[in-house]
Amino acid sequence: MPVRPQSISVPSIWQYLWQMIRYAQRLYWLDTFLWLVITGFPIVPGLLIREFFDSLTQSPEGGTPWLWIGLLLAAGAGRVIAIFVGRITKTQHRFLMSALVRHNLLLGLLQRPGAELATGGINGHATSPGELLSYFREDAEQLEDTVVGTNEILAEAVFAGVSVALMLSVNATITLLVFVPLCAITALVRRAEQRLKRYRHASRQATQQVTGLLGDLFTAVQAIKVAGAETPMLAELKVRCDRRRRQVVRDQVFTALLNAGFDNIVSLGTGLVLLLAASKLGAQGQLTVGEFALFIYYLSFVTYFLGFLGGFLAQTQQCSVSVARMTSLIGTEAAQPGTSPASVPPTSQPSCLTTPYPLYLKPILGSPPPLPKPAGFPPSEPLQELRVEGLTYHYPGSDNGITNISLTLGRGSLTVITGRVGAGKTTLLRVLLGLLPSQAGAIFWNNQPVTDPANQLIPPRVAYTPQVPQFFSTTLRENLLLGLAGSDIPKRLQGAITTAVFDQDVARLPEGLDTRIGTQGVRLSGGQKQRAAAARMLVRQPELLVFDDLSSALDVNTEQRLWERLLGQESASESDQAAAPSTHRLDHPPTCLIVSHRPVVLSQADQVLVLEAGQLLTASSPR
Amino acid sequence: MKTSRSFYTYLLTTYLSPYRLQVAGLALTLLTSIGLQVFNPQLMRGFIDAAVAGVAQRILIQISLGFIAIALVRQALVLASTYLGETIAWHATNTLRLDLVRHTLHLDLPFHATHTPGELIERVDGDVDALSRFFSQFVIQVLGNGLLVMGILGVLWWEDWRAGLGLSVFAITALGLLSRLQVLAVEPWRVYRQMSAEFYGFVAEHLSGLEDLRANGATGYVRHRLYGILRRWLKAFHRARLTSTALWGGTVGVFTVGNAIALSLGAYLWNQNAITIGTVYLLFYYTTLLQDPIEQIRAELEQFQQAAASLQRIQHLLKQRSQLRASGQTQLPQGALSVAFKEVWFSYQPSLVTRYLSLEQPPYPTTHNPERATLQNLTFRLPPGQVLGLLGHTGSGKSTLARLLLRLYDIQAGQIYLGGVNISQVSPQNLTERIGFVTQDVQLFQTSVRNNLTFFNPHISDGEVLQALEDLGLMPWLIGLPYGLDTELGEDRSGLSAGQAQLLAFARVFLKNPGLVILDEASSRLDPLTEQLIEQGIDRLLHRRTGVIIAHRVQTVMGADQILILEQGKILEYGDRRTLMANPQSHFARLYAHAALANLGQTPLGRISKEIIRDS
Repeated sequence: MPVRPQSISVPSIWQYLWQMIRYAQRLYWLDTFLWLVITGFPIVPGLLIREFFDSLTQSPEGGTPWLWIGLLLAAGAGRVIAIFVGRITKTQHRFLMSALVRHNLLLGLLQRPGAELATGGINGHATSPGELLSYFREDAEQLEDTVVGTNEILAEAVFAGVSVALMLSVNATITLLVFVPLCAITALVRRAEQRLKRYRHASRQATQQVTGLLGDLFTAVQAIKVAGAETPMLAELKVRCDRRRRQVVRDQVFTALLNAGFDNIVSLGTGLVLLLAASKLGAQGQLTVGEFALFIYYLSFVTYFLGFLGGFLAQTQQCSVSVARMTSLIGTEAAQPGTSPASVPPTSQPSCLTTPYPLYLKPILGSPPPLPKPAGFPPSEPLQELRVEGLTYHYPGSDNGITNISLTLGRGSLTVITGRVGAGKTTLLRVLLGLLPSQAGAIFWNNQPVTDPANQLIPPRVAYTPQVPQFFSTTLRENLLLGLAGSDIPKRLQGAITTAVFDQDVARLPEGLDTRIGTQGVRLSGGQKQRAAAARMLVRQPELLVFDDLSSALDVNTEQRLWERLLGQESASESDQAAAPSTHRLDHPPTCLIVSHRPVVLSQADQVLVLEAGQLLTASSPR
Repeated sequence: MKTSRSFYTYLLTTYLSPYRLQVAGLALTLLTSIGLQVFNPQLMRGFIDAAVAGVAQRILIQISLGFIAIALVRQALVLASTYLGETIAWHATNTLRLDLVRHTLHLDLPFHATHTPGELIERVDGDVDALSRFFSQFVIQVLGNGLLVMGILGVLWWEDWRAGLGLSVFAITALGLLSRLQVLAVEPWRVYRQMSAEFYGFVAEHLSGLEDLRANGATGYVRHRLYGILRRWLKAFHRARLTSTALWGGTVGVFTVGNAIALSLGAYLWNQNAITIGTVYLLFYYTTLLQDPIEQIRAELEQFQQAAASLQRIQHLLKQRSQLRASGQTQLPQGALSVAFKEVWFSYQPSLVTRYLSLEQPPYPTTHNPERATLQNLTFRLPPGQVLGLLGHTGSGKSTLARLLLRLYDIQAGQIYLGGVNISQVSPQNLTERIGFVTQDVQLFQTSVRNNLTFFNPHISDGEVLQALEDLGLMPWLIGLPYGLDTELGEDRSGLSAGQAQLLAFARVFLKNPGLVILDEASSRLDPLTEQLIEQGIDRLLHRRTGVIIAHRVQTVMGADQILILEQGKILEYGDRRTLMANPQSHFARLYAHAALANLGQTPLGRISKEIIRDS
């Protein structure tokens, strides 16, 4: 399998912005229109007040001024209403924009090989969950701001355009001078582009370092307390915070400097235009006083727009840094045509940043669309044989990994991988399951090639219990099911819990399956976590069970019972639960791939594979 | 919860006082900018008047140059205030961030069990971010624009006291209304910030469990939960932004009404011939003049709503107290430490124990209460320099016992002594220094190998680090790394296996000089061969130290002096290892026999191990 190509042709930032606009076009244009109204509204009171004074001075009866005051109140009320409605559309639109990006980031990460994040396989360097938060926060916000910026600049452009048209009708030559600052501004942005991007990149990087360390700190609270390492850890955090401060201040001050540059260009231009206009006043008769006043009035719209435009162009450059960061995280390729054989279809496609997925949010008017039903697993063809040929993976920048591994798992067989610490056992499982991208080799499920193991070797074909299983801060039930639903699920869950020798522990928890197990499942002991992970896997009833060192935290008795129940050898009398549901036993001996050092397991294996320094040393069949 | 004004003052004085000079500079630049804002339109009017009057080109050019010069000065001021404002804001917020992190790290483990790392990141980083403007600009802007309003009113009083009075009443009403509306949105913003924290908590948590989620086909489940969170987040966002809009809509409304009143009054008085048309215009003109500074104050208040919401959350976090009882300052004696438990009771739900003890009810599960205390009436004594092997089923309370020694939790009854000192009297720093603790779950940080071993402590030399790695036989692994000790490490990076991570955890303890070493299932992820290899290392570690080895396998504790077997929180058996071994009726001897039986089938591994040894 080839290494994934890294962003061959990156679409320009404008393409991304356009795709984002297209995602919610009706809302976008409605919002643009409302903002046009809100920003343009102040013109109306100006006109009304002129009429008011005219009516006062020209009609001594004084009847009509009340009409204008009434209209003034009405206009004010209209503007207040427009502001409220505009806020609602803006809020909805803003949220939609960042929500889509955040959704696509999460989905992209979910669809990447699962262990890749931690091993640095994505963009050369490793990324921790804490670091990733800055993509979800700052970078998503930046894209949201820029998309929303386009409709504000559109509104301003409309006023500027109308103003230019009116000014052209007054005096074309002077008006054309307006374009001089415009050219100067674009030239300035172009010159500053590289630096803008560099500073922005550095400040994001520094932010990421801070959130990354914060994540590490809060994940490892116990380890830090135990090591008494609060002081040096906080000192390191301070170093990173200071670095971030310097980078962000540099970024902000440079942006401000650029904006100052735009404003200076604009005011120089304004000064120039005014001087020229004043020189044509009266003497040559080219401009009347009224025309001159009009000119100045409209010029302010144009200059405001130009300053705004400069700032916006700089913002798009900074936004392109965010987009580049996010796409390097999840890739740029759009949906790929299915290249897999029909029997093993990939369940999902890789997504890119702006793919228009539905988000099922409540629209401004009306009720939210129903959430999609969590899809059950499609039935799968029973496993006859899983064959692996020449599987190879090396961690980036190191020799560690696995080389040229071949193995075959027959239906109902028990295969144990063993070997010393660091021999590559876990790596082999990960590459096999597509959690790490293989660099060479092939996998065959019933003789059909598996091209996308990450999305194909999942339940109901394969389920996996990692060496250090992770849990989430919800109830135990939700942690075990992870969205699995159906009428037979409660029964299946009971069966899985019994098979995993977890039933007595569940009974002892204060609220049974509804107990909230805390951050990272801290309310469970090490052994309980391992058996909970086994139950989580068993409830999915996969064809192939893959365990990584399942029993490392189990005592001998528990471990023995676990294997007996799992491999279906436990006689009814041995079961400590006479009324154990009969469903807990699979109808055929399951196919198992297990990493273990335990004699109990090794003695029952159909084949034992020994790994040493990433290579298969021996294969023996004790049975 | 309402944030008191004194808390704002406390924050501002605490976090800004080191930067007094910069704050003064910022105040100067901002106030000058506000002043120039007033001056610039005057110049423009002068230019127009002059141009219309047809004065000489030279004067026009002078005015134009003045215009440009002022624009330049304003830009310089903007730059200066950006630099000063950002610097002050980042200094102040960084200090606050560090204080919050320090505070949060010192909170007890039950707190951390209910707050995900992602949520905490958002609370100490995201919430504090919202304060940067509060620290740098808020007070100066509000004061400056307030001054401007007063200046305009002052001029008005001087020109016409009636107009002054009218507009003063108007300004006071407007500002009063704004400050009242401002409070409305604080609570909705707090809810919004809470949703944000929940979202980031959700994201971080599920990214840590990416492997588990993917391999269990649960990506659909994650998306489903995401949709739910997004829905609630959007609702909170709408509520917060809409209540905030009351400020903007309110200002526009107040000025519309104000203008209408001014014009009506003017029209009425003019009709009565009480005032001239000039005065009518003046009234109107000054109402609009007031609009700018009040708009500025409005914008600041709108931002402040979010800051106030964040401040409430920060205050709430700072108010969280560790449930652990206050510690003393006693230092533990040097050398190996004895360990003694005296009638120790402990439950993760403290009320359980206190209830039982006060009512003298049986402390075991009944039909009414299926709960039992995690540790019940534990008493034992381990002399200094001896090693205790602690056995028991999973969930029997072994790990809890270790956590109690480190005071990660407080016991509800009884006493624990280390080296003869009650641990509740020992300074926390000293306690963690003198105990080395290796667990099964090893936390690695995303930084270099060196920092992972030293916890960023710069006082530990490379020589010491290398010696520790050497002792554990990790040198071959280190040599294989591209940058040696500088190689970046992480959760599983550079192909570091969970077993190797456990070896690193041993190395961390080697770098300390503890009087008590606790190994909690520390070697369970090692293969038998590696376990044998590091046994020497463990022996060296336990030399002249007290040891507690927690294990679920009998073999692991065969080197121990004493054996303690726990069952459901009670001592099942306690005694000298040899004595227990010699008594075939003891639980320990039976466990040993059982394990030996189970290991009879160990032929394959035994054979393979020998092969590996031969090969290497």
